Amino acid sequence: MKRRDALRSLALLTGGLVLVPSCDFSEEEILSAYDRLKVSSSMRELLGQITDTIIPSGNLKGASDLDIQDFILVMVNDCMDEDAQKSFMKGFNSFDAYSKDKKGKKFSDLERMEKEEVVQTGLHEESEDKNDLRGFLGTTKRFTIQGFLLSEYMQTEVKSYSLIPGDYQGEVLIESLKKEKLNG
Amino acid sequence: MANFNIDAKEDRTYQAIVIGSGISGSWAAKELCEHGVKTLVLERGKDVKHIKDYPTTNMLPYEFEHRGQITEDVRKENPVVSRCYAFREDAQHFFVKDQEHPYVQEKPFDWIRGYQVGGKSLLWARQVQRWSDFDFEGPARDGFAVDWPIRYKDLASWYSHVEKFAGVSGNKDGLPNLPDGEFLPGYPLNVVEKHFQAQMKKHYGDSRHMILARCAHINGNFDYYAQQGRAKCQSRNLCQRGCPFGGYFSANSSTLPWAEKTGNMTLRPDSVVHSIIYDEEKGKATGVRVVDRLSKEMEEFYADVIFVNAAALNTNLILMNSTSSRFPDGLGNDSGVLGKYVAFHNYRAGVSADHEGHLEYTTQGGRPTSGYFPRFRNVLSQETDFLRGYAAGFSASRGPYADQSGIGMELKENILNPDKWGPWRIGSHMMGETIPKESNYVALDPNLKDEWGIPQLKVNVDYDDNDEKMIKDYLEQMTEMFDKAGFTNIRTRDDHRAPGLDIHEMGGVRMGKDPKTSMLNADNQLHAVPNVYVTDGASMTSTATQNPSLTYMAFAARAAHHAMKNR
Repeated sequence: MKRRDALRSLALLTGGLVLVPSCDFSEEEILSAYDRLKVSSSMRELLGQITDTIIPSGNLKGASDLDIQDFILVMVNDCMDEDAQKSFMKGFNSFDAYSKDKKGKKFSDLERMEKEEVVQTGLHEESEDKNDLRGFLGTTKRFTIQGFLLSEYMQTEVKSYSLIPGDYQGEVLIESLKKEKLNG
Repeated sequence: MANFNIDAKEDRTYQAIVIGSGISGSWAAKELCEHGVKTLVLERGKDVKHIKDYPTTNMLPYEFEHRGQITEDVRKENPVVSRCYAFREDAQHFFVKDQEHPYVQEKPFDWIRGYQVGGKSLLWARQVQRWSDFDFEGPARDGFAVDWPIRYKDLASWYSHVEKFAGVSGNKDGLPNLPDGEFLPGYPLNVVEKHFQAQMKKHYGDSRHMILARCAHINGNFDYYAQQGRAKCQSRNLCQRGCPFGGYFSANSSTLPWAEKTGNMTLRPDSVVHSIIYDEEKGKATGVRVVDRLSKEMEEFYADVIFVNAAALNTNLILMNSTSSRFPDGLGNDSGVLGKYVAFHNYRAGVSADHEGHLEYTTQGGRPTSGYFPRFRNVLSQETDFLRGYAAGFSASRGPYADQSGIGMELKENILNPDKWGPWRIGSHMMGETIPKESNYVALDPNLKDEWGIPQLKVNVDYDDNDEKMIKDYLEQMTEMFDKAGFTNIRTRDDHRAPGLDIHEMGGVRMGKDPKTSMLNADNQLHAVPNVYVTDGASMTSTATQNPSLTYMAFAARAAHHAMKNR
């Protein structure tokens, strides 16, 4: 555990780019911080592009500005059981092929609109042989939303989070609530 | 070499020893110390100082690596404690991990424990309802267990005593089956909860009530609580982390610092009590044997009076492990009932629903409590095919959510500005009285020991037919009440959880009038060893339906004064 924690801290400092040689003779090296997953730095980058497609930068920072891909990998690595991790990785590994199948190119070569289409289509796949892919995208979307909303950036710079919610009011007219729209 | 004196017997002698620093032990300690009694408080776990030792108390959600979630490794290593609703990333350090103190489950039993100064008083749900004579008279009227040796009048002033000091918020509801107490202002019910209250009145008249649950939170009389260094509850709902305001009652924020201030308390963490020493010549208990949690060395401490407040099942364990030739089957166990007639609260069932009315309203802010149904079944007389009944929690809630179906900028705008309003969500859960039975027991395992050389506890506790009938009735009645109130989409559930997860285990060292059938007398003294008092959950003859901690606190304060009067 200690070693993993140390690697994790280092990984977070350097954006996950702590590399150890992989054991499966592939050319690429895998990220050691996520010891239950086999994720290379290019896969991490791909995941970043998917999160950026789900929550893009704009007026406010987007998912990839906040390195939400690292949060996703931490959650999958630490909080999901082995079966769910396997399914996530299967879906992840099949994603670029899926992109090629749908759009004729790997994901990183697509335009934003095409990327959105691939992710949305994948999220709504119904056939059984796409279960892992759909699950991977569903998990990625869920953790992207969670990681974004519960990020330090959101909780300190955008919607300041208060541990003290104020006195309870049990009969508040919705139309009386102030609406300050946040422009994403 | 220089410390010969430390080993001298008088340096290990106090006027009183309290085993356990949690909700009931800290009350005994506070009363004793306040009245000049030199008291040693033994706690098996580590020290937890108010505020200083609440490492997560002011952490924002993003500061938790897993945003509150327990990791898969922790969950797998700790299947029992992981089932507890409060065992999350922010409070996991206050719970006993499964391997830290193993026990034998002859039947599934989720034993949830907090080994530290303050015990589970840091973690409790802070609901404090008084018992009434409809509860104390239950066993005698319905012919189970044994008659309680006391009635409400014996405890009423002690309820007041502890409520005032602990700080209890609530409304005076004027219900005979849930007596009013010393209340600070109550928190508001919301518009739908009030609607439901009115519907209950319309359909059930005065026979059923949904009220604001009384909770141990400071909501008034602020100067008084400032003397304890405590302030108004800020409705953070992060109580399980320890409260930097002392907004809710815990031993750490209230009774223990109060006792410490007197200069009469010696608090000794890391002290695992092995057994109580019985002196056959003197015919009384003279002290306790303690195993140091870390060094595993055994030491003895002595006192004229001993309070056992180790939490219900561990109190049983200590007494069973305190054998002598006078008491070969456990201290004070002439009756043979020690460890038997264990009971708990049945939390298996719940009902949820939607409310499609009052859609122009929502709520804002926080509150530390919710609605509560006092028991309405079999109160005045037996009316069902099962004994006793259930209380229930009740709440209505609403808040905006975001449409998350899209992707890209559309999704981003939506989650930044949640503006969808569904129906009100209605929820209820049951808290059923279970009947103490000889066959629901704890005992010492003859072979297995823990790392302190103390036998492991075998737990043999289960539901019975009465519980099954009660679950069915709760689900039917709650469905009917929800239906009459106009709620829709009513869903019932029985999660079949094991006993223990209610964290309301009680009994094994029950009170009673007759030494042949009970362990403790009306003043919580062991019949056979009157200088030993048991005032935690172990002492309970029956369980009623109320959250039990308030009653333990009242028993502890009352017994402490009894001990001082009879010194």
